[in-house]
Formats: sequence, C-alpha cells, structure tokens
Amino acid sequence: MWKTIVRRFLIMIPQLFVLSLIIFMMAKFMPGDPFTGMITPETDPTRIEELREKHGLNDPWYEQYIRWIGNAAQGDFGMSYTFKRDVGALIGERAVNTFWLSLVSVIILYAIAIPLGVLAGRYHNSWLDRLIILYSFVSYAIPTFILALLFLFFFGYTLGWFPTSGSVDIKYDPGTFGYVMSKIYHMLLPAITYAVLATTTVIQYLRSEIIDAKTQDYVRTARSKGIPMKKVYSRHIFRNSLLPIAAFLGFTITGLLGGSIFIETIFGYPGMGQLFISSITSRDYSVITALVMLYGFLALLGSLLSDIIMSIVDPRIRIE
Amino acid sequence: MKNKSWSLMAMLLAVLLVLAACSDSDDSTKEEGSSTPKGEEEAGSNDASLSLSVENEGDAVEGGVLQVALVKDEPFQGIFSWELYDDGYDSELMDWATNVIFETDGEFRITDEGIASLEVDEENLKATVKIREGVKWSDGEPLKIEDLILPYEIIADPDYEGVRYDGDFQNIVGAEEFHAGTAETISGLKKVDETTLEISFKKLSPAVFYGGDGLWSYAAPSHLMADIPVADLLAHDLVRKNPVTLGAFKFDKVVPGESVQFVANEHYWKGKPKLDGVLVKVVPPSSISVAMKEGKYDLAQYFNATQWQEIKDLDNIDILGRQELYYSYLSFKLGKYDTANKTVVSDFENSKMGDVELRKAMGYALNIEEVSEVYYNGLRERANSMIPPVFKSFFDDSLEGYTYDEAKAIEILDAAGYKDVDGDGMREDKNGQPLEIKLAAMSGDQTQEDIISYYLQNWKDVGLNVVLTTGRLIDFNSFYDKVRADDPEIDVFMGAWGTGTNPSPFATYSGTSANNLGRYTTEELETILNNIDSPEAMDSAYRSEQFRAYQEYMEENAVVIPMQFRYELFPVNKRVKNYNVDYETETELHEIELVAEEPIAGN
Amino acid sequence: MSIELTENKELTVSPPPTGWQVIWREFKKDKVAMVSLVGLIVVIFGVFIWALFIDQDALMKISLRDKYAAPGSENYSGLGSYILGADQGGRDILGQLIIGAKNSISIAIAITFITGIFGIVVGMVCGYFGGWIDSMFMRIIDFFITIPSMMLIIVFVTIVPKYDVPVFIMIMSIFLWTGTARLVRSKALSESRRDYVNASKTLGTNDFIIIFKEIMPNLSSILIVEMTLNFAGNVGIETGLSYLGFGLPPSTPSLGTLVSYANNPLVLYEYWWCWLPAAIFILLMMLAINYIGQALRRAADAKQRLG
Repeated sequence: MWKTIVRRFLIMIPQLFVLSLIIFMMAKFMPGDPFTGMITPETDPTRIEELREKHGLNDPWYEQYIRWIGNAAQGDFGMSYTFKRDVGALIGERAVNTFWLSLVSVIILYAIAIPLGVLAGRYHNSWLDRLIILYSFVSYAIPTFILALLFLFFFGYTLGWFPTSGSVDIKYDPGTFGYVMSKIYHMLLPAITYAVLATTTVIQYLRSEIIDAKTQDYVRTARSKGIPMKKVYSRHIFRNSLLPIAAFLGFTITGLLGGSIFIETIFGYPGMGQLFISSITSRDYSVITALVMLYGFLALLGSLLSDIIMSIVDPRIRIE
Repeated sequence: MKNKSWSLMAMLLAVLLVLAACSDSDDSTKEEGSSTPKGEEEAGSNDASLSLSVENEGDAVEGGVLQVALVKDEPFQGIFSWELYDDGYDSELMDWATNVIFETDGEFRITDEGIASLEVDEENLKATVKIREGVKWSDGEPLKIEDLILPYEIIADPDYEGVRYDGDFQNIVGAEEFHAGTAETISGLKKVDETTLEISFKKLSPAVFYGGDGLWSYAAPSHLMADIPVADLLAHDLVRKNPVTLGAFKFDKVVPGESVQFVANEHYWKGKPKLDGVLVKVVPPSSISVAMKEGKYDLAQYFNATQWQEIKDLDNIDILGRQELYYSYLSFKLGKYDTANKTVVSDFENSKMGDVELRKAMGYALNIEEVSEVYYNGLRERANSMIPPVFKSFFDDSLEGYTYDEAKAIEILDAAGYKDVDGDGMREDKNGQPLEIKLAAMSGDQTQEDIISYYLQNWKDVGLNVVLTTGRLIDFNSFYDKVRADDPEIDVFMGAWGTGTNPSPFATYSGTSANNLGRYTTEELETILNNIDSPEAMDSAYRSEQFRAYQEYMEENAVVIPMQFRYELFPVNKRVKNYNVDYETETELHEIELVAEEPIAGN
Repeated sequence: MSIELTENKELTVSPPPTGWQVIWREFKKDKVAMVSLVGLIVVIFGVFIWALFIDQDALMKISLRDKYAAPGSENYSGLGSYILGADQGGRDILGQLIIGAKNSISIAIAITFITGIFGIVVGMVCGYFGGWIDSMFMRIIDFFITIPSMMLIIVFVTIVPKYDVPVFIMIMSIFLWTGTARLVRSKALSESRRDYVNASKTLGTNDFIIIFKEIMPNLSSILIVEMTLNFAGNVGIETGLSYLGFGLPPSTPSLGTLVSYANNPLVLYEYWWCWLPAAIFILLMMLAINYIGQALRRAADAKQRLG
C-alpha cells in the first residue's frame, strides 16, 4: 500500500504542473493587471508603467510562467500585489482559518447527518422519513447565502449568541487558552450554517444504504436466528452502512474548502475562499495561481485519503 | 445522538419562524404603501435632510471605547504607512493615529493650525516647513526635522515600489538623483535648524498649498525607521503591527485583516483624548444595517449610500452625510493617445461622437434626476460641473449643467441632422447611415445594472440607439483597460473620478496626460488648464476665475457630461456625544465623548 | 466510489424486463411521484408557453416609480397590476419568474444534455473497452476533479469577451461532464461483464451495437436520475454565481438572479416578494425532481420496487 501511496503522490506532480500552466495562462488572459486598479487622477501613468516593467508584467506570459514556476519549485510563490506580502505567508494565515472552519463544519455535519440518515433509513417511508427527506431537500434548495444571512441576523444579532464577524476577539493574545476558545466560538455559527446546508448527500446516501442493507442476506440470517431487530441494527446494519461514510471524509473536507466562499464573505471570516474572490477582482496573479494550486493539491490529497480509508474499512476494495 | 437531532429540528423551526415573522411584518408595510400615492412616498423620503454634525444629550461617561465598523467585504490590507499604503481602507484606519503634520481648511488648503506650518517663496521656488516645539511621537520621542525628511527618502528610494514616486514627486530638487542612486541625500531638502525644513522645487504652482507639487504632508519616525532598508519596510512590524504615530490614538493591537484596537495617545500634542480607545472591526456590507440596529457599533465608515433605506428608520442612530470629493461623468471617445509622444490626439472629424450637438443631446436625454431620487434617495445629485461644490471658491453654481430635458435633446438632434431615415424609430447619422453608439459602463451591484438599463432606455426615448460594449457591464479592471487602450468598441463611457483635495483638472483633461480618457484636447482648453496651475494662479482670485472659465468651456463643448455628485454617509449611534463630518469643522478625534457604557440598541 | 461498492450486489440482480414498463409501474404505485411528474411536465410546458406571450423588452423596461411595488399593487402608470410585486427596477416579478424559469430550465436542460451525451459516450467507451482508452480518460477525469471548478468558472466568466447564455452553458458543461462519465463508466464496467454481453460478443455482434442497443437501455434509469439531479445542481451553481456578481447579464433574467436579490437585509425581510417566489419555485422543482428520481431509482433497483 505504501508503494501505491508514493506512486499516487508522484502522479500528482504532472497533474499539478498542468493545472498551474492552465491557471497561469488564464489568469494572464484576464483583462487588466494588479496596477489597473491603482489609477486615480493623481497617479502618474508613467510610474504605473515603470512598476509594470519592474514586475515583469510586460513580458510574454510564458516567460512570466517560467519565472514563476522556477520560483514556485523552490517554494517561493512570490508577493501578493495587493497585500504586499509573501503569498505563502498570506495564504497560510487564511488556510489555517479555513481548515479549522472546515473541520468544525465536518464534525457538526456528521453530528447532524448521521442520526438523520439512520432514522430515515430505519423508519423508511414513515412520516419521520418524509420529514427528514423534506429537510434534506429544503436545505439543498436554500441558497447558502440566504440561510447564512438569516442565521447571522437571528442567532448573531437578534439573540446575540454568537460573534458576528471576524475570526477571533481582539482582546486575546495568540497562544492563550482564551484565544483558542475565541477562535472556536467565532467558527461555530459559520460552521453550523455550513453543516445544516451540506447534509443532503450524507443523509441521502446513508438512508439508501440502510434501506439496501435491510434486504441483505446477513440481516435475514440474523433475523432468522431470532436476534431482535434493535440489535440487528446496532450490531450489523449501522456498522456496515456507516463505514463507507467515513470514506467520504476526504472528499467532504475538500468540498467544504471550495464552498466556503459564501460563508466567509457573509460572516466576515478571513479565509481562502474570500481571498480567492478578492484576488480575482484585483488581478492578484500570484495569489490566484497559488490558491488554485493549493486547492488542486488538497483535492488530490482528499481523493487519495478517501481511497485509503476505503481500502481500510472495506477489504474488498484495494487501491491499485 | 437523538437529542442532537432534535436541537437541530428546533433550530430549523426557528429559522422558519423568522421567515414567517418577516412575511407578517411585510404585510403591514405593504398596506401602508398602497394607501399613499407612490410618487409622494418616494418624494417624502427624499434627501434625508442630512446633517453634518450631531450633539447628543447626556453626561459624558469617563473614557470608554468607541466601537467602529469598517464596512468592507473582505479583510483590510493592513499597510499602516502613509508612504506605502495603497488602499483607502488602510488610510481610514490610519486616520485614528495619523502622522499628518499639516491641517487644512474647509477647502483643503494648508493652514497654520497643525503641527507644521507652511510658507512658500514663489520667487525662489522654495517652501519652508516649520514644526511646533514639544510635539512627541506616541512612544514619547520628540518630533524632529529628520522625521519630515525620512518620508521623502523612503519614496525616492530605488527599492520603493509604490505609486507615489511620480512626476509630481520628481518636482523636488534632487529626488531623481537620489532615486538613481547618484546622490546620498535629496539635495532639495535642507534642515535649517531643529524646527525648520526648507524644500526646493523645480517649479511651483498653487497646488503646493494643497499638499501637491511633491510636498509631503506626513512624518515618519526616523528614530525607529531610518535604519530599516526600504525593501524590508513593507513586512516590518512598524508598518504592520505597531506603527509609531503622532495622532490622537495609537495602535495597540492588530488582528490582520479583521480588527484594530487603538488606545489613547497620552503624548498627543493637543492633549490626551477623552476616550480610552477605539476599536475598529471589518463588517460585511450585507449585515452592517442589522449591526447598527442592534447597537453593536457607534460609527460605520464606508457605509454604502445605496443602503440608506436599510437604516433610515432606526431610532438609535443619527445619519450624518457630506459630499464626497467625487464626480461621475459621461465621456466621449474623441481621439487616441499617442504613447510614443505622450500626447493626446483628438480627431473630431472621424469620431462618431465628434459632433458637439450629438454630445449635448446625449447629456440632455439622461434622466439623472430621477435616478438620483429613486435609487439614491437624493444621496447622489445631478452634477453641473466637474468641481464638487465643497470647493466653494472654484465651484461655479451658476452653471446649468445638462439637466434632463427630453424635448431639448430631440430638438438638438433634429436640428443637427440626426434623423430617422428608415423609419425604425432610431435616428441615423447625418449621412443617413445607421448610428449605433457603443457605451462602456462599469459593473457594480444590482442597482448599477438597473440604472444603466434605464439610461439606455432614456437614449432610446430620444431615438438614439445606444448599446453596451461587449453586451454587458464591464468589470472595473477590463473597463479601464479598454478605455485606456482606446478600444474602438467604445464610443462613450461612464466613469468617475475622485478629485482628491487638489481639484486641479490638469491631470485628467490636459493634452499630455494619459489620464485624459476622452482624448479631447484643444488649444483653448490647454491654455485654461495651464493657467489654473500657473504661478499667476497663486493669486486665488485669478485661480478661481480660471476655474470658472474651465467649467464653462467644458460645458459649452460638452467635453464630458458631469453626471452625479455623491454623499457619503456616517451612521452614528446616539451614544456618541459629539461627532462632526464637516470638512471645515471636522471633529477633533481627541474630543469625542460617549454618553453611555454601551452603544444603544434600536427597537 | 459508492458505485464500485455496489457492483457485487448488482451481479445478483437479473436484468430488468423492459425498462419503460417498470418505470411506468413504479409511477402508478407512487402517487407522490406521479403528482410530481405531472406537475413538473405541466409547469415546464406552462412556463415555455407562457414565456412566448411575454414581451421581454417591455418586461425588462425599468419603471423607477414602481420600485419595490408590493404584490397586488397597481402599476404606477395605472395599466395593469403586479401580481407578485416588482423588483427595485419596478419590473414585474411574475414576468421575470416565468422568463427566468424558462431561461434556467433551458440552461439546465442544455447542460444536462451536453454533459449527458459526452459523459455517456466517454463513460461507455471507457467502461466497455477498458485498456489504454480507459486509463487515458480516467486520468483526464481525475484531472478535472482536481480542478476547483467554481474558481475556474469564475475565471472563465471574467475572460470571455461576451458573456451570455450559450457561453454560460459551454463553461458549465466543460466542468460537469466528468461526473456523468464516471458514473456511466462504472456502470458500464459491471454491465459489460454480464452474461448477456458475453453472449452477444461470442455471437460476433458489433461492439457499438452491444453498447448502444444492449447495455444502454439497462443504464437508462440511472442516467435519468443523474440528469435530474444535475439539473437541480445547475440552478444552484447559477444562483451562487449571481450572488458573487458573476451571474448572467441583467437582460437575461434567471432564477439565480432573482434569488440573489436577497443579498441585502431590506430585500430579504421587507421586499421578500423579489426573491421568495423564485426560491420556492426552485424548491418545488427540486422536490418534484427528487420524487421522480426516487421512483426511477426504485425502478432501476428491483429490491426497492413497490410494484
């Protein structure tokens, strides 16, 4: 298995390379550049031109790309044009926020989705099942930002249960216990919002797994042996149905990373999704490319992770 | 597990209840709406009668922290240096702890009230800056003349990557040599004694009184910064985390991109502030109105005026407003910019918009008044010239501007020979050829989309076939890219300029400037523009006369059609005892007081 | 991967009788699905026919005095009234809802159609033939899965010089075909190992005839489910893009634009009629599609069948 994992990592390199080429080319095709937005009547167009020249923005894109990939290979992703900071450090700061937010979201997501999915599957076709299905579809149909706004207004402002913007209270110093708690506290509402909206797949999947399992031979055998249904559920069905859910984990986390744009914007939570949108508008090339690469890498990692989990929980599947 | 799923259901129910509650309250507003005639309803709410200042009753509490919301969709950049920053939000943050050495009057002319005073010797192209004695940095160090010289050396440094090393800055004698590395110091900056700095310029214009011509209005703490290489400054803690400043408050803590905590600066030269501190947080525009209602903040900065309706009925805030140094315009492509020779080449003959009558008609056809009233509730108003009225001595209020007059537009077009030849309801050009005018406009929010569609409709009503370049609104970057490149797909375009505190139009309309986006230039206009910034214009009477001439010329020739002036809004909680946004008598930050422990929540 | 898991189970299922009969029997048994099906057909046809009678230029004409006119209130000019109110440009919401639904449904159908065809062809070929074709396409599909699609869609939207419905369909299709292809591939893989295929092969039947005449009908219900779900997903993506400011141009009303009106508290609370009808419309469509999809899924899977 270790061999396979190493091989998968090696395959990632050409994939990421192609991805970087495409995204770099596309970023350069976008009209304007990081300096377009800086022009006011007082700014001197000659100075802007000088700066463009200095940053090599007037070179053909492939020259810029070669320069960029050369630096990137050495771990230097350049400077953000807008934030005037090292891209690695900038993204790192945001990525930490987004990562923790995603993790908390996933935990809440499973805490909501697993019981609901199990109930819906067990009491298949009952009113409870119908209600859960209705919920799962309502949550799928509500656009993220609408629910996010409603939650923010109601739980954040009207009830005042949660902080309403930012990722941490300014009064705590990094490293202290209060700081960590404040971080988690700031994450809760966005994470709950996200979890409530993302349950559909898990509920649906779990539900049909359990309905499926009910007709399986091992369940029939167990029943015929006189084991009470309750025990059959807890000993056999749940375990078998829950295991594949674990395999979703990798994909779910990467999925969350991509879907975080809305949540981050509405809750004023400085994360990667928001950074991406703002760097698109400001044509912050170095940040755009680095972000897409990071997402690509995480997606690859996620799918690898899923495959590994799968092969562990289900011996029938071996990663090739 | 079961319990958790139930709490979730309860939450879901709560959301549904909120929804239901909303729809209930809406029913009642709907009925009110239908009982009053609509036109009046709009007119009644028009023009909020904005005041410039607020005085709230009550005894001031000791100290207190002012809660400020910086309305912004994304984290701030956090470059806290006047020499290095790019983003307006950063300057808004820095204002609490400013390093500015000059104070200005209502028209932004430098006065003697500030830390430094300015004397200009026009004959010898010199300016003398004198600083008060006893002014201290927030770390207790005294302010020195070196602190005034350092910013010049930062900007002129070869490693400086900002936009401020520009033509204007090179007007300082010796700046170019210093930039090229051939000089150790900037020869035009001379320390006369411990409180006096003499600056030599290559040329002088009235702009110097407004902080132009290369004069720099900020100081930098040389006792800390002098030895830091400019290339390292951007990442330095003195810029990112704990800048040392001269203003009423000083930086205490920064959460990058999210919030900044200021505390009172005990060394402030005007006296210790009455507040204990100021806490500024970034709040997304989608929730700012609710945040103000719930009493989370005392003051909102960068509040978008289109959201005025969301807060107008709140009983716990006052809404202050003032005119911005801004105008939006409709401009016409009348030539090209010759990059090699750095000149604007106008070609009226071959430009689609070359006919002044056509340009005028396009101006008269726009119902900007209605847009201002309905969409902006009077928070934007039809501009009659390119000089915001704040500049009282330059603004010409006698100008009519292109007030909406559909009949006049039709009349002008008929007289000028733009007739509908083929009977499709759209006018053809003077030679009977189909006339399709391509408009480039910037994308923005939904309101912007609607307004542009409305303007297209306005033109259609007078028989002009105006279509959008690329078929939709163009995002900011592409817009300026296309306009600057003189894209042939653009005949007219709608843009906006912030005028800055020096309203000189030279940079935006002169025959040599690439920022002259309409590419209109004539000798007559050039003369007027030169006069405005000429040495004779040091005489304010002469200068304002030339400003008037400029505004009249622009109107007569419909070079651009000024569209709107706009107001900026400052929602202020009733807890704030005194707040004033008048440019002339703006609140001194150290005098702000609060009358309650917490911001007041609304009903 | 859920598919791969079920492969072994599938083997025990005998090939269903004729697909359409089974489907029809399922619908007859499940009233909710039946109502959904009829309702959906009626709504889709209704929307398309109604849209023919709406003058889009007149609909999108801005009437500032009618800004946020409440549902049921009269037009400012005194002509007609707004059944569902008006938006901030004073444009009729009902009319926009119809046109918007027409546009969104057309977009979704077009995307589903394109990605469907492409995905089916690629998936079938890969699953049936395997070998180097399979591994080549699988690498390409893997690559697409790595791409953060929402982000690249946004970049694409910024680049294209003219952004309209066909362009939007193209962009979305580029990113969405892989899902269908993956699904079809794994199904085709398991089907092609079955006896009936082997039998055909030994009889010397042409590969393409086997693929499209024999395997395809057995995948039809799975494909219909996939397509219906894609449909709902597309509307969601479009809504999100509108909210972020990368939506369709204003001259093309869509359900996404209508819902994204809710991005300010005033519209969200006070002028709910701007966005709520579109949101409810999307929800009902999705529920209907889901119930239909469930019936279809049951039809595809003998164990869950009601009839």
